[in-house]
Amino acid sequence: MANPKQHANWSPYDNNGGTCVAIAGTDYCVIAADTRMSTGYNILTRDYSKICKLADKCVLASSGFQADVKALQKVLSARHLIYQHQHNKQMSCPGMGQLLSNTLYYKRFFPYYAFNVLGGLDAEGKGCVFTYDAVGSYERVGYSTQGSGSSLIMPVLDNQLKSPSPLLLPAKDAVTPLSEAEAVDLVKDVFASAAERDIYTGDRVEIVIVNAAGIRREYVELRKD
Amino acid sequence: MSKSAIELPPKGGFSFDLCRRNAMLSTKGGVHPPSYRKTGTTIVGLVFKDGVILGADTRATEGPIVCDKNCEKIHYMAPNIYCCGAGTAADTEAVTDMVSSQLQLHRYATGRESRVVTALTLLKSHLFSYQGYVSAALVLGGVDITGPHLHTIYPHGSTDTLPFATMGSGSLAAMAIFESKYKEGLTREEGIQLVAEAICSGIFNDLGSGSNVDVCVITKGHKEYLRNYQLPNPRTYVSSRGYSFAKGQTEVLTTKIVPLKEKEEAAEVGDAMEE
Amino acid sequence: MDLNFNAPHSMGTTIVGVTYNGGVVLGADSRTSTGVYVANRASDKITQLTDNVYVCRSGSAADSQIVSDYVRYFLHQHTIQLGQPATVKVAANLIRLLSYSNKNMLETGLIVGGWDKYVGGKIYSVPLGGTILEQPFAIGGSGSAYLYGFFDQAWKEGMTKDEAEKLVVKAVSLAIARDGASGGVVRTVIIDSEGVTRNFYPGETHPLWHEELEPTTSLLDILSAPEPMNT
Repeated sequence: MANPKQHANWSPYDNNGGTCVAIAGTDYCVIAADTRMSTGYNILTRDYSKICKLADKCVLASSGFQADVKALQKVLSARHLIYQHQHNKQMSCPGMGQLLSNTLYYKRFFPYYAFNVLGGLDAEGKGCVFTYDAVGSYERVGYSTQGSGSSLIMPVLDNQLKSPSPLLLPAKDAVTPLSEAEAVDLVKDVFASAAERDIYTGDRVEIVIVNAAGIRREYVELRKD
Repeated sequence: MSKSAIELPPKGGFSFDLCRRNAMLSTKGGVHPPSYRKTGTTIVGLVFKDGVILGADTRATEGPIVCDKNCEKIHYMAPNIYCCGAGTAADTEAVTDMVSSQLQLHRYATGRESRVVTALTLLKSHLFSYQGYVSAALVLGGVDITGPHLHTIYPHGSTDTLPFATMGSGSLAAMAIFESKYKEGLTREEGIQLVAEAICSGIFNDLGSGSNVDVCVITKGHKEYLRNYQLPNPRTYVSSRGYSFAKGQTEVLTTKIVPLKEKEEAAEVGDAMEE
Repeated sequence: MDLNFNAPHSMGTTIVGVTYNGGVVLGADSRTSTGVYVANRASDKITQLTDNVYVCRSGSAADSQIVSDYVRYFLHQHTIQLGQPATVKVAANLIRLLSYSNKNMLETGLIVGGWDKYVGGKIYSVPLGGTILEQPFAIGGSGSAYLYGFFDQAWKEGMTKDEAEKLVVKAVSLAIARDGASGGVVRTVIIDSEGVTRNFYPGETHPLWHEELEPTTSLLDILSAPEPMNT
């Protein structure tokens, strides 16, 4: 062989597709993801939850590579358990947000192939959403979407939820003006729309609503083709 | 055979030097050609008691995005011959259009009904001369003077003759249905039912295929194009409240108006009109 | 699973041709595959060229089809001009001509077999580069690797038609058992002074070779029936 360096001809990553959305309101947070898991042109399962409850008021939705997502969820749960033993309380959602960022950056040069949105309620009971890239860059926002259908969904959320310009001074609150029911309705509609055009989004959408009363789950059927 | 050590000058046929250059550019130079609209597809055909039935899904994709939710993949070849196409949409469209016009001219010249083998030979010789670069995978079906015929044609120009056939990314899903349920001498209704089931298998199990089922039934002296024979994928949720797209979605921070053209005034100068 | 449907169709094949006293027997399996997918499990790789000459095709399906289509066309013209059937030698040399002069474009190996009134039954093998070989028997395709020793042992000069056909069917079924790229049914074509006979041997009629299992219609027949778990 002319080339002395042998390169691996396989990839340690796969893309299992899927879309996640989270919307923060004044006193609630809606986190949603479809339940399709696929690879290439194949559907692996139509019923796989991408949403992981990390604490009573903190929920993580992740798409990307399922094996990495699972590993990441396991690390976060373990770290959260240690935190509870040490502090005798649950981690706050912004705290979990920072922990997730650190966990992702820890693998900066062999990243978790996971695209996360973290949603929940902050210490004041206000809805909060944190959005990430694969290596831990993160930001607190009013709403976000990640995954295969995100480019289809983001402009609709931008239009409907009208995040205040980050250039405004003094900075305005990022939470959305919608009521909880309106936000849930919007989530259902954007998922139905994404399933029309994104082949990796479909089958069913799982919607988790976090508010003062606790956590509630809803499901809506999507296209199965 | 290894791509021979001695490069002989080609004696005839087309030159594929540019194709090889493009392949080199995309692997080594990182220059990628524009993405094509591919019909990641399920297409099928079967022979039944009195003719052939063709079927297709209606999804066209460009990468992971659905670019047409209801496209037509069963192309007209002749009044008694139709052809399903998978692969690059432009290629299937162009190759079937080209051959169908050749068949029409042949009918004007001979005054006879076109034969399926004629279409088959025209298609395969075109595809062979392009050495697989025209990526059209076809299921050709029709009924002529010699009876019902069903053929598959691959991009490199090879052909098969079979009682039932599938093509495209959903061909495995569809073939699973045919292999377990096809039998000889199906009635028209049984045939349509089986074709629709095979297409649905592709629609639901293959992400490249989706939306609706198109069917085309060809019998002696008669054909029936059942466009959107089944619609198994309606929209699942529509918001009860409508959407308003109000003006002013973008925050205006400052406003400054610059006139495009300075206003000029003509002033009368002394004795310009002197005689 | 990586399924590349743009990959050329190739016939990972077993083809054989055998002469006997009075004629020839050609044999082939029926599998055509694209990578790991069997695109056609009942293909006919023994193609007619004229009334008395047939050809077994291996390699790229597209290439072997185009070559045999051209040769059939040339032989028809030749037969009309000559006013009598073309000889096997002419057919084989036409194949050689195309294979040799387009060797950098083609990826096909063929075995021509037939009968003519001048020399009787003849087998010509035309492998990849356009070599031509007149042989008492010829084997080709990926499955032939498993058959050289068998033919060295089992082929005899002056066999009868039945013996020759039995040999061909046995050889192809042996190759089908060992070669993953060969499979399906065995097709034979027998050509002699009397004319042509085509035979077909479905998979379930093949003899069971070493460690082979009985054919079953359903996997459920060989798996033990599921029982409810009782503890």
